[in-house]
Amino acid sequence: MNNLINSTLLMSIMLLTLPIMLNLIYPYKTDKFPQYCKNMIKMSFLTSLAPMLMFMYQGLESTVTNWQWFSIASMPINMSFKLDYFSIIFIPIALYVTWSILEFSMWYMHSDPNIHRFFKYLIMFLFTMIILVSANNLIQLFIGWEGVGIMSFLLIGWWYGRTDANTAALQAVLYNRIGDIGFILSMAWLMINNNSWDLQHIFMTDMNTLALMGLIIAATGKSAQFGLHPWLPSAMEGPTPVSALLHSSTMVVAGIFLLIRFYPMTKNNPTILTMAMCLGAITTLFTAICAITQNDIKKIVAFSTSSQLGLMMVTIGLNQPHLAFLHICTHAFFKAMLFMCSGSIIHSLNDEQDIRKMGGLLPILPITTSALTVGSLALMGTPFLAGFYSKDSIIEAMNTSYVNSWALLMTMVATSLTAMYSMRIIYFALLNQPRFLPLSPLNENHPNLINPILRLAIGSIFAGYILTMNMPPMYITPTTMPMSTKLSALIVTIMGLLLALELNALTNKLPLKNVIHTHNFSNMLGYFTHLFHRSYPMANLHLGQHIATMLIDLNWFEKTGPKGQANLHSHLSSSITSLQKGMIKTYFLSFIISIIMVMLII
Amino acid sequence: TIFSTHWLMAWMGLEINTLAVIPMMTYPNNMRNTESAIKYFLMQATASMIIMFAIIYNSWMTNQWTLFQVSDNLAITLMTLALAMKLGLAPFHFWVPEVTQGIPLMSGMILLTWQKIAPTSIMFQISPSMNMNILITLAILSTMLGGWGGLNQTHLRKILAYSSIAHMGWMTIIVMINPSLTILNLIIYIITTLTTFLSLNFTSMTKINMLSNTWNKSTSITIILLLTLLSLGGLPPLTGFMPKWLIIQELATTNNITIATLLALSALLNLFFYMRLIYVSTLTIFPSNNSSKFQWFHQPTK
Repeated sequence: MNNLINSTLLMSIMLLTLPIMLNLIYPYKTDKFPQYCKNMIKMSFLTSLAPMLMFMYQGLESTVTNWQWFSIASMPINMSFKLDYFSIIFIPIALYVTWSILEFSMWYMHSDPNIHRFFKYLIMFLFTMIILVSANNLIQLFIGWEGVGIMSFLLIGWWYGRTDANTAALQAVLYNRIGDIGFILSMAWLMINNNSWDLQHIFMTDMNTLALMGLIIAATGKSAQFGLHPWLPSAMEGPTPVSALLHSSTMVVAGIFLLIRFYPMTKNNPTILTMAMCLGAITTLFTAICAITQNDIKKIVAFSTSSQLGLMMVTIGLNQPHLAFLHICTHAFFKAMLFMCSGSIIHSLNDEQDIRKMGGLLPILPITTSALTVGSLALMGTPFLAGFYSKDSIIEAMNTSYVNSWALLMTMVATSLTAMYSMRIIYFALLNQPRFLPLSPLNENHPNLINPILRLAIGSIFAGYILTMNMPPMYITPTTMPMSTKLSALIVTIMGLLLALELNALTNKLPLKNVIHTHNFSNMLGYFTHLFHRSYPMANLHLGQHIATMLIDLNWFEKTGPKGQANLHSHLSSSITSLQKGMIKTYFLSFIISIIMVMLII
Repeated sequence: TIFSTHWLMAWMGLEINTLAVIPMMTYPNNMRNTESAIKYFLMQATASMIIMFAIIYNSWMTNQWTLFQVSDNLAITLMTLALAMKLGLAPFHFWVPEVTQGIPLMSGMILLTWQKIAPTSIMFQISPSMNMNILITLAILSTMLGGWGGLNQTHLRKILAYSSIAHMGWMTIIVMINPSLTILNLIIYIITTLTTFLSLNFTSMTKINMLSNTWNKSTSITIILLLTLLSLGGLPPLTGFMPKWLIIQELATTNNITIATLLALSALLNLFFYMRLIYVSTLTIFPSNNSSKFQWFHQPTK
């Protein structure tokens, strides 16, 4: 059994590298390369089901340490895989989603001349992601971390001729880098204090607040929490499969995954917990506010991802890492599906991404439409779909624990806003009359398009049930709570839905109101990007220039030196000589005053 | 005045001195000379009056007329201020530039040199009982005003007047600490000022742009002016440096370093306008047309 779990998982990881090696060994171009990739991923998924079933059946975990890479002055760096609760469940789910996405991108990127390179990038990304989640020591995790960052850069800037895409890719890398500073801080602290980067060693001792702060900063950078969040909406410049894989299911959860890995450390540190919760609450509320007035379908889904990430951070702050993990898994399904449905819509409408130019797609694209609806309902936490098991549990746990009631309120508001923006997508994209040009190649006949969407739809509906029933319980569910508390998530969501229906219906029934400022705030991402990307560096540069020229050059070198002196003395001499007017009476008067003053003093 | 021990004799000497100099000042008998002479007379008369008052007050209080025993506080203060008026120290300096400007060069010379001897000798003799605070105020004000006032002038006589104010400041500061240095400073100042005035008189120059022709008229004057002015400024190794050096040393040993620094910095201002004169006369040759060259061959027409 031990051998089986180790060998099957390592086999599934190794299968991922085969397509890339194929290219090195057999350089003749083949048309079937994407097909090979997809089949490989399917194989890898099936192989990784075995460890998952073993884990579910027996609770079997393992740690594999293979090979000593090198050692830094008595601290050996090994290549070791930790196959525990989190990684064993995550890897099959990631592979399943990637399989569906690869099949989808065979349809989506069909006309792209560099499709082979695209697939290689996707596979390399998946490979590094799996290194990240199965790492047993921090250096391996860091390799995976940086790997997903680089692949994200390459994939966001896939259409590199477009300036916006390049800027977005650079933005992603820079924000990730800032998060990496936190990661390296933690690593350095651990190296100094624990002399080891192995997770087993670290969990024996304590970590102080500073080191855990570093992890939170890393998560803020990688998982786009508030403060380092602008890269995620900008990352929608990449192709839809990229958005589906990276920025919904796998890469952005890397930061949350890191915090989940370190849960034995964080559960004893209330400062870190509070910080995570407040950060998550701000994130989820802010991005939900931004999502409700966006006009680009991919940006709405991106903000939705960001909001759910905030929710995961809140859960970590509640000291419920397993619930956060559950939400990661269920979220992967329906978010990837949402992205794929929007990709289908975009491609069908001849690359139109603005929801104000879509409409009436309900009878035309039935499978896409139903999948979109199912996915949105799952996102909102409709009872007994996938999202319900994780999201509702999170909100129940939040309502019944001693937490920051401000964070609680924010999260509830964000939940209703979730319903609002999902309704916005459905209303604008699917309902009413069409707003696009009449001659569009609308069809969804290709099996490469339909099958993945259906697969993920099945996952969205059933995954919650399957996972919850089969995963060993690691947390205490709150068993009694008042009826209003239990139904609070549902009530808030339904209210949001109805409100959104009403407001969206207003758009083509009542006259247009003037633009109010709240709309501008929400539409422009709260002015965050404008302030931090433009105003702040401009102010800094101005300050630098003023210091260099005005302060130092002009003042210290000139005025206090020659020019100031010349001015001073010429001024004084002219004022003294202009005192002499030649009138003796004045002179005598001054003499008398001087004498009297001296008399008085002496 | 120098040799008397009785106050009345000293005062008489001062008065006779004043009265004698007045006609010398009005020699060419034009309006300007007269005006300067009247100003001078008024100033000196007021000063003498105050001296007389101080003398009588002192004799009333202490019942003695000895020159060097002025014990009363009011008397010594009044005496100091009156002597400052006579010498032309700030803040009583307003008459010096105008009077010096209005009279011919030779009279100006006597005004600035001979007239200083008498009041300085009185100061020398009453120096032990003087009030240091007043002296410090007078001296620092004088050096500063002398320095800054001289920067804005183009007439040579006014420049020399301001230089006299400044040098008087140097002399008064040291009169309580080491009075012989006062006399030394006075003597060296008299020598250099006499030299300056006589050389200016030889070529009858009264303005700075007149100085520019010195190389042409008599080149030796150029060199003499150079050295004398630098000495007035107090540059080593010329003689003018000696009194300044000794005064600063005396001040430093009695722990008056701030005063010494202020005096030295003000002397820099003096040096600047001397340098300006040297620049015009010696260091550069101002443009002149060819017909006015080789003037040293001829006698000056006067």
